[in-house]
Amino acid sequence: MSALRENWRIVALVVLLVASATALFVPGVPPGTSADGGTDAGGPEAESASQLTNLNYGIQLSGGTRLRAPIVGITAEGVDVQATEATQLEQTVADELGVDTIDVRVRPISNDRQTGAVEVVIENVTQQELRAALEANGYQPDTVRDGVTRETRQEMVETIDEKLRTSALSGASVQIVNVPGGEHFVSITAPDRDREDLVDILNERGVVKIYAVYPGGENGSYVREEVLQRSQMDDISSANREGIGWAVYITVRQDAADAFAQRMVDAGFDDGASCGNYNHSDIQQTTGDGCLVHTLNGEVVTARGVTPDLGGSFANGEFANDPVYVMQTNGSEQANEIELNLEAGQLPAPLDLSEDSGASLDPALAERFKQNSLLTGLIAVLMVSLVVYVRYQRVEVVVPMVATALSEVFILLGFVAFVQYPLNLSHLAGFIAVIGTGVDDLIIIADEILQQGKVETGRVFQSRFRKAFWVIGAAAATTIMAMSPLMVLPLGDLSGFAIITIVGVLIGVLVTRPAYGDILRNLVLDED
Amino acid sequence: MFEFEVPEVDYTRYSNRQLVAVPLAVLVLSLAVVGGWWVVTGAPVDRGIDFTGGTELTIGSNSTLTNDEIAGTFEEPVVSIQGITTTSDSTYENQYVVTFDNSTDVSAVRSAVQSADGMTLLGSGTTSPLFGAQNQRLAVMGVGVAFVGMSLLAFAFFRTFVPSIAIVISAFSDIMIPLAIMNLLGIQLSLGIVAAFLMLIGYSVDSDILLNNHVLRRSGGFYESTYRAMRTGVTMTLTSIAAMAVMAISATFFGIGLMADIGLILVLGLTADLMNTYMLNVTLLRWYKYEGVNR
Repeated sequence: MSALRENWRIVALVVLLVASATALFVPGVPPGTSADGGTDAGGPEAESASQLTNLNYGIQLSGGTRLRAPIVGITAEGVDVQATEATQLEQTVADELGVDTIDVRVRPISNDRQTGAVEVVIENVTQQELRAALEANGYQPDTVRDGVTRETRQEMVETIDEKLRTSALSGASVQIVNVPGGEHFVSITAPDRDREDLVDILNERGVVKIYAVYPGGENGSYVREEVLQRSQMDDISSANREGIGWAVYITVRQDAADAFAQRMVDAGFDDGASCGNYNHSDIQQTTGDGCLVHTLNGEVVTARGVTPDLGGSFANGEFANDPVYVMQTNGSEQANEIELNLEAGQLPAPLDLSEDSGASLDPALAERFKQNSLLTGLIAVLMVSLVVYVRYQRVEVVVPMVATALSEVFILLGFVAFVQYPLNLSHLAGFIAVIGTGVDDLIIIADEILQQGKVETGRVFQSRFRKAFWVIGAAAATTIMAMSPLMVLPLGDLSGFAIITIVGVLIGVLVTRPAYGDILRNLVLDED
Repeated sequence: MFEFEVPEVDYTRYSNRQLVAVPLAVLVLSLAVVGGWWVVTGAPVDRGIDFTGGTELTIGSNSTLTNDEIAGTFEEPVVSIQGITTTSDSTYENQYVVTFDNSTDVSAVRSAVQSADGMTLLGSGTTSPLFGAQNQRLAVMGVGVAFVGMSLLAFAFFRTFVPSIAIVISAFSDIMIPLAIMNLLGIQLSLGIVAAFLMLIGYSVDSDILLNNHVLRRSGGFYESTYRAMRTGVTMTLTSIAAMAVMAISATFFGIGLMADIGLILVLGLTADLMNTYMLNVTLLRWYKYEGVNR
């Protein structure tokens, strides 16, 4: 037992090595991975099941696309607007600016918000125009700035996340990047996908609208009214059924079903309606009794009449018993697209892709980067071993030295696998930096302990070791100091590089480098 | 078998002035290059697309393409075309990296390659001018904070002016010399190189702390302490140089630009560090030990 206590540093090293091996190789150990191998996010990808390790690779090493773009929008902050006025103000501002209400959002004063805000999420509206529009209606904003509100940013992340998941982009992730100085960007990573695929998904704001078009205006002209909104829908699914074809089945929320039926009755659909010859390019022109018109991004998808049965159920209230709205589409692709857009919702604001910053890499090339950089790392380790061997010429000094440096990297890999941090090229550079500082420190320890004469007693060893450790600790502190700004600044992969280096230095100083001292003591004392 | 033992330099043969002259001359020369570059080009070093904004495409092809053929594929003006060595296991015989300026739309040039015969798009990277300017601001901030933090720590460790400032000057020079050489070799600053500079701050301080520690905090004469520190410190730095040189060469061979850049900068910086630590720093310490302390 006393041998164990004396060599507790070596024991700690072995424990960490075993823990790392578990995190690296045992499937399902890191949180968020499944026991059958690979990450949950990697789901349907077959190759994830055959992965050798639990390591997670970023796009530079596994291919894919990363996008970073600002959100389009301007925001007036400090607007004294209450929840009751919100809808009205949205309409007024939209009219004033000549934009759709969907592009204007009022964030009234609430529990989470001390002051109200009004944001316009469309290009070509200037800050002055928004201020003027608000002032014309008696609101005095404190400031008008570029960007959107915090709530909208949060909704952006949720919506994009939903879109990525429903569009089968496995392993994709989205986050908001905050830059010191108050700017915010959306950062999206999608493995195994081209930039074009990703942009397609994002570019679509995916606005699905359901209108009733019916004669009700002056001189028998047709009126168009939005009758069902996303907030009134519950379950949405697409299916291909006998006699109907591809359609999206929308369950209307229970509390909205009666109101919807009533609106249909008011629009004159209570005894059914034949849509007649609907003119797709002019939404208000038809020859029939009335139509239900479905649009996606302003384009008409389908226009359908209402069967007398359905119309009757609106009138007698039966609709609410089974409130399913059937939106017919032209084929499976359209049905899926509408389902996706309704499910994921539309982006609360568009992304400014002309200002994007990102990278896209072919998986095959990334794979070669992975192998070649691994090879490069190995060659660097060999070179280091050679130099220290030439310098010391003593196997019992050099072999533990190289083994310790490698175990540092191994523990670090275990850590990275455990937290499922996606590895990129710059992180591999970080690993090499860790080997470098690690071996430097081991040389300091070796020189200090092996200097002038033999290490006769444990006490001499302890004193020498402590002296060496002062230098190592000081050097580690400066390295951590040098890397810490990068950890918090959003400089792409450099943050990852800094985190890897700092964690590596910490593992080194706290565990592996002291353990090397113990190993050396055992070997050197044995000799004497 | 070949063996190396760090040679014992007889510092007594040289005066302080003689010893300091070389590293100071190199530092002044580097500052002149960097400063001159700044005056002429408006920036201390040529900035790559990470900072200026721009687009870079990686193209694979099984035929050998001339620069004109490649440039002809695009309507947009091409800034540079660089062939990359491919190894026998690569899918394409030739790979090219084509760079465009920041007015180019990445989707347009991507689709130009995708619709071109005999070319395959392997990758693209783009930085908008907005992000470039931001990267620049953040990188300057990061290196600045790192340097100031390192300096404060140096002063906290040794609590005396001369040995601490020796570390700071030496680290400063370790950064300026590779920066000047980058300009002379035409290497553009990338985010990877910024990482290399931060690594350099960490590495450079190691040997300085070791030297100061041996001379100031240990018993024994100045020359004996210096030699002991050198034996360890030179081994350390040579090991790192060897590792980084190998990394630079092999990454260049494999066409992994980021690692090649980091390797090259560290080889340059660590070599500069050998000179700065054992000529500049040693001399400042000797002056401090023999003359400065008595003041």
